[in-house]
Amino acid sequence: MTMLSINQETKMSEQLTTREGADTASVKMIVFAVGAQEYCIPILSVREIRGFEKTTTLPFAPAYVCGAINLRGIILTVIDLAAYLNIPPELENSRRVVIIVESRAGVVYGLLVDRVIDLADISTGDIQPTSDEGACLHGLVLIENRMIGILKLDTVVKHLVGESSKE
Amino acid sequence: MDEILEIFFQECDEQLQELETGLAALAADRAEDDTVNAVFRAVHSIKGGAASFGLQNLVRFSHVYENSLDGVRSDRIQPTKEIIAVFLKSMDVLSDLVVEARGGASVDAQRVDESLTELKVVSGEAPAATSSPAASFDPAESEAEAFSPVPFEFEPVAFDFGDDFAEPASARKIVTFHPHDAMYGCGDDARNILVALTALAHDKGDTAQVECLTEALPAFHDLLPASSYLTWRVALPDSVAESEIRDAFDWVVDSCDFTLESDRAVTETTNSDASDEADAFFDAPASISEDTIQAMVAQSAGQALSRGASLPTTDRRLTAEAFLDDLAPPATIQRDEEPIALTGATVARKAEAASIRVDLSRVDDLMDLVGELVIAQAAVQSLCQKAGTSGHHELMQGIEGMQTLTRDIQDAVMSVRAQPVRSVFQRMQRVVREASSMTQKAVKLVLEGEDTEVDRTLIEKLAAPLTHMLRNAVDHGIEKTEDRIAAGKSPEGCITLSAEHRSGRILITIKDDGAGVNHKRVFETAVKRGIIAPDATLSEDEINNLIFTPGFSTASEVSDLSGRGVGMDVVKQAIMSLGGRIVISSVAGKGSTFSLSLPLTLAILDGMLISADETTMVIPISAVSEAIIVSQSDVYSLPDGTRIISKRGECIPLLPLGVTLGLAGARVRDTLEGAVVLVVENESGSRAALIVDEICGQMQVVIKSMERNYRHIFGVSAATILGDGSVALILDVSALIAAALSQTENKAALGVSELVN
Repeated sequence: MTMLSINQETKMSEQLTTREGADTASVKMIVFAVGAQEYCIPILSVREIRGFEKTTTLPFAPAYVCGAINLRGIILTVIDLAAYLNIPPELENSRRVVIIVESRAGVVYGLLVDRVIDLADISTGDIQPTSDEGACLHGLVLIENRMIGILKLDTVVKHLVGESSKE
Repeated sequence: MDEILEIFFQECDEQLQELETGLAALAADRAEDDTVNAVFRAVHSIKGGAASFGLQNLVRFSHVYENSLDGVRSDRIQPTKEIIAVFLKSMDVLSDLVVEARGGASVDAQRVDESLTELKVVSGEAPAATSSPAASFDPAESEAEAFSPVPFEFEPVAFDFGDDFAEPASARKIVTFHPHDAMYGCGDDARNILVALTALAHDKGDTAQVECLTEALPAFHDLLPASSYLTWRVALPDSVAESEIRDAFDWVVDSCDFTLESDRAVTETTNSDASDEADAFFDAPASISEDTIQAMVAQSAGQALSRGASLPTTDRRLTAEAFLDDLAPPATIQRDEEPIALTGATVARKAEAASIRVDLSRVDDLMDLVGELVIAQAAVQSLCQKAGTSGHHELMQGIEGMQTLTRDIQDAVMSVRAQPVRSVFQRMQRVVREASSMTQKAVKLVLEGEDTEVDRTLIEKLAAPLTHMLRNAVDHGIEKTEDRIAAGKSPEGCITLSAEHRSGRILITIKDDGAGVNHKRVFETAVKRGIIAPDATLSEDEINNLIFTPGFSTASEVSDLSGRGVGMDVVKQAIMSLGGRIVISSVAGKGSTFSLSLPLTLAILDGMLISADETTMVIPISAVSEAIIVSQSDVYSLPDGTRIISKRGECIPLLPLGVTLGLAGARVRDTLEGAVVLVVENESGSRAALIVDEICGQMQVVIKSMERNYRHIFGVSAATILGDGSVALILDVSALIAAALSQTENKAALGVSELVN
């Protein structure tokens, strides 16, 4: 199940970066830090990365929704990943950035992270599924002895637009 | 294939509109020569397109329709009111058939047959009319045939050359035409027209004189074999109708220049020797290959005839160019003042001005980008001011220039989205037609200002309320025919639907010449429905406005059409939700007028900028009825702490905006002395007073959806981007009022029950 959905999510990236063999498809991921923990998402779902700016607070929003920003005429919401994942954020961080992500259904939103670390090719075969807790993560992967969580973007969107919505 | 089909359907819509316009003109007796042709062409194009897609129902119907129209076109049938009514009815069937072909609801076969029969009656009960001898002489018909690939047979045409021209003829019509290269290019030939024109003359038992004007012919070595140089001049007997001549040019109108003169004086011609002519023609350097000559001669059968043609004086003739000059600029052409000669080029120019199809999303993208441009420009400006460059006169000038430009661009993009209200207005013709036939009343709808442009978002939302109002006007406004005659009015009722721009808004009025609002009956009904007290004294205006009250209907009998009691209040709500207002005025016995005032666009909103608990928000100005500075003595607290404010005897629930929206750091103030509250009103007239910190100003804001990338938020209808690039929320006043009311009512009820206990 876990494998299946990550395959869906990264279908495009697979087509571009597959190195032989369906089991060990390789996906280019962007790795970032939230607090002390590192996470990654497929790079092809990323639209752009921009500095964090003041957001407009939204009424009745969950705690992890920072607010709305204007991206060249499109209004989108920024999610504070630290709050979303229940991690204490780095204090006094001026390098905080917003990764703008576009879902397959075209919903655009921002992920507030502490800093972007690097890009990595991750073989789908190396992903260790987690116990499906809240389904925040697809699984974990080990790169150079760092444990990196693979964020499940579908769940993020579902939280954002509400269950009954387009996703 | 689907794409092409889609284009066909779009074209069908356009043709149907054309048809409607044309028939309306015929009905209103302001038809021009070309109107019938336009109507005919519209049906013909639909038929042609439908045939190529194999849409049999459509083809069958449009064929019969076309035949009947052809009768009118060839003056066999006089378009009486009844016949036009049949045409209009058939048009509705045709448009339904188009919808059916598009995959919509299927059309009642009986209705189609009924219309078909009526059409056949119009065309003289002869479905074979097209093959009748009369029709075969119809020049346009033969042209139409020539248009389809028929086997080409050479058929010698008898020309009368120069010397015949000198005969003192009776008044004649002189047709001068010059085919463009394009006409030969698409396989047509001047010969076809000459044949058609001579046939016209023969019809009237006369002959046509054809001459060829060769003065445009260059010297032989400059001659391009594929170019058209010759101009033809045909003298026809005066008995040939102008429309017949125009028909002959119907298919080539944009590929030739053509002028029509009525020449009462006897034509002067200089008889030049044909052989001289030929000599001049070949007065060119000697080395001409056989091929060149052949190519040149083969250029067209018509041009090859030039050698025998005579050369008349040229100065008396109005050339196509001269006409073009006369007509320029095209925008100033008044249809009815137009000179008799309409050059093909002018027609083509008009067509070019028509339109292009652009995907709406592209225009929306453009809008977004322009919005950003405005913001970026404002940012540059404020940065420059901050950096203390105000001394740099030239820099500031440049920035100001940019500001003007960006505003102009914004306006221009808005105008791209604008569309004339014609499309929705014309649909109303059908509404009135159906409503009047259902109520057995004769009603005509007069449209005015159909060219008034509004944003297309609005156009789409206008149809429903307008339909409702027009049905109401037919059903309740216009009296029965007997009553009208008794009142000394014309038996036919008249409803005028007009649109105009007024101070940045669009004003739509629906005016009927019916009986007007029956104040007594309205009052009685309102009392009966418990809307007002029996002893209430109301002004005329107040009585008029009663018809907008929910659950009000004066029609004593509930008709199919309207009068189910959900009439005008629904209209009012629809109009108000578009940010509009509706006003009624009525004169007993003379009729009533409904005026709708609407914003020009739904993409932009006049907003009031307010701040509450450090958040800037926008409230639609149309919802704000007043701003009050509170004096504590007007504020009353309910037992549970909710507060109401009394204003002119009315109690309005107070709503601390920040708290209601759950903004962080929002707090309830102890005293409201000196606080600013905005009284807002929703569609149904309920009110609430919003406590805000400050009113920051008023501005036009571009409406952006929140739901596109997020979910619906209670109390927020949309968002916008302010001048500094930040996001501001647009408040959903109706929701806030509903919340305020339920809160107060619940708590008041609770309070009362506590007191009782």
